[in-house]
Amino acid sequence: MYLNLSWRNIWRNKKRTLIALASVFFAVITAVTTRSMQLGSYAYMIRSTAHFYNGYLQIQHPGYWENRSLDNTFNQDSIAYTALLDVNHVESCAPRLESFALISFGTTTRVGEVVGIVPHMEDQATNLASRLVQGSYLTADDRAVLISQGLARMLKVAPGDSLVIYGQAYQGQIAAGLYPVKGIIKYPIRELNNMMLYLPLKAAQDLFLTGNRLTSIAIMIDDNRHLDGVKRTLRTILPAHYALLDWKAMLPELHQDIQFDNVSGMIMLAILYVVIAFGIFGTIIMMINERVKEFGILIAVGMKKIRLLLVTFWEILFISFLGALAGMAGATPVVWYFHLHPIRMTGEAAHTFEMLGIEPIFSFSTDPYIFLNQALIVFLIAFATFIYPIIFIRRLDPSRAIRS
Amino acid sequence: MKKQTIHILRISLFLLLGVSLSFADQKATEIVRKSNNLLRGKSSFSEATLTVIKPSWKRSITMKIWALEPDYALILITKPARDKGTVTLKRKREVWNWIPTIRRLIKIPPSMMMQPWMGSDFTNDDLVRESSIVEDYTHTIIGRETIGDYTCYKIRFDPKPEAGVVWGKIITWISQKNYLMLKAEYYDEDGQLIKTMTGSKIKTMGGRLLPTRWEVLPHNKPGHKTILQYKSIRFNIKLTPDFFSQQNMKRVR
Repeated sequence: MYLNLSWRNIWRNKKRTLIALASVFFAVITAVTTRSMQLGSYAYMIRSTAHFYNGYLQIQHPGYWENRSLDNTFNQDSIAYTALLDVNHVESCAPRLESFALISFGTTTRVGEVVGIVPHMEDQATNLASRLVQGSYLTADDRAVLISQGLARMLKVAPGDSLVIYGQAYQGQIAAGLYPVKGIIKYPIRELNNMMLYLPLKAAQDLFLTGNRLTSIAIMIDDNRHLDGVKRTLRTILPAHYALLDWKAMLPELHQDIQFDNVSGMIMLAILYVVIAFGIFGTIIMMINERVKEFGILIAVGMKKIRLLLVTFWEILFISFLGALAGMAGATPVVWYFHLHPIRMTGEAAHTFEMLGIEPIFSFSTDPYIFLNQALIVFLIAFATFIYPIIFIRRLDPSRAIRS
Repeated sequence: MKKQTIHILRISLFLLLGVSLSFADQKATEIVRKSNNLLRGKSSFSEATLTVIKPSWKRSITMKIWALEPDYALILITKPARDKGTVTLKRKREVWNWIPTIRRLIKIPPSMMMQPWMGSDFTNDDLVRESSIVEDYTHTIIGRETIGDYTCYKIRFDPKPEAGVVWGKIITWISQKNYLMLKAEYYDEDGQLIKTMTGSKIKTMGGRLLPTRWEVLPHNKPGHKTILQYKSIRFNIKLTPDFFSQQNMKRVR
């Protein structure tokens, strides 16, 4: 009976209800859009960084992170790549054999990071082929290298020249090899551009005398929000003692930056909630005050205050719920639009992003949890304003109310 | 006594890491100098085996070493077969490598000087380091202890303020008879023991009584050890700087 009564009450004065609904509706849209942009930007930053080189996750020998030596490698046959790729949300994986070595051409010698890769898998994971500025990309059976532009410039090599890789191989042996340059790649980050050298995995394993061993497998997933789930699944298929590092462990600075930014984002959001709360509160006050006479008469003719409260309770519940629902529905096209047409950054920040080789955009997250969370929070805020009618109705003096 | 002599072997030189003159304790310095001179000659040729032991593997390299004090040394690897013919040449502050498998000569850049040489507990920098255990430290006798059959002076080395050395202090045990350095402990600036070197298998080699086996034990790396065992040494042989040339790196046997 109360439900029925409240439902009718709501639609008795459509204008009043629509105003209240609208305040909740726009509050939800604002909250969802704000949060979606924040979380979307983090996800975008994490994705860009992961795809740059490290990946979201890396499988390693347990000692490798502490001591990056070829002695801390694992047998590639202990992990089936297909099993990794079958894990839900895993997009690609890139097996690698990495080691520092001397790169020498003519009388010039530099230190470089030599990375043995499976060319097509590396391209899937980090778009390595797209970094090519000269020459051509590697194939699995090549005995040739891709060299980063800065390193090539220092050594004065061009595609077709043969350079020497010399260093320490597996278990203290000597690694030495002569390889033609097949292509030159360009990294937007100077450190990498002056250091990286790729060769096919098989050639690298022969050079470093490691047999079929790897230092790491980088794993790309579709979205950072599935990180923990993917980690749990991977744990079940990996040999128990293998290390599984996520980007937070590999890139602690990025993680800290995001955490720090997230706190300031939350503070902004808290302020937004306060604004929203007062907006809704104002609407409710208006609605209740408008009905002073009505409430007064109802009580005067014998309606118990508690019943009146219940009716009002359901009214506010309906309005909050409908507003939140409509807000979620309304936010969807907004977020979706910005997800497809991200906002471009300008100025200083854009410049920093571009230097890192990342497109300077604000990306929006379409994570359904953001919608649910924000709608729920706004709903609760709206609902909390119910305290006002409780106090108001309890104190209501019918004789005075009727005359007001 | 300002004679610029050669360390017997480059290798033992960087193992020993320099000795020096002091006004603090004339007697201690004299002992260190005598001990150091025992390992020196104007020139030398030796054959030795370097064994590197790591927690998960072990590897031996056999080599021939020519040295001409103070600037030149040439190390030729003769075993294992895979690395045979690999040559390291030191000329003044430069280090060069000849790799026979690809017939290429490589200069070691300054940034690689702190990297391990042949995977051992020695760095490339140890090969060219100029510091002298006689000149760069002051010496004090702090006791007498017995090691094996030898009664030894226990001598503390403190770096001179102007000397660019890496150690906070070194403590050595030098036998009273024959001045053999039998043990040395290397401490960092915080007084932490970093590595211990012990000399053993005392034999007459090249006409001198010497420890022929040196063992280096780094204390911060459990399971790591480097052993240098001499097979033969000849002192004051005929060598000229011409011998230490890039051309000769490719020819030397």
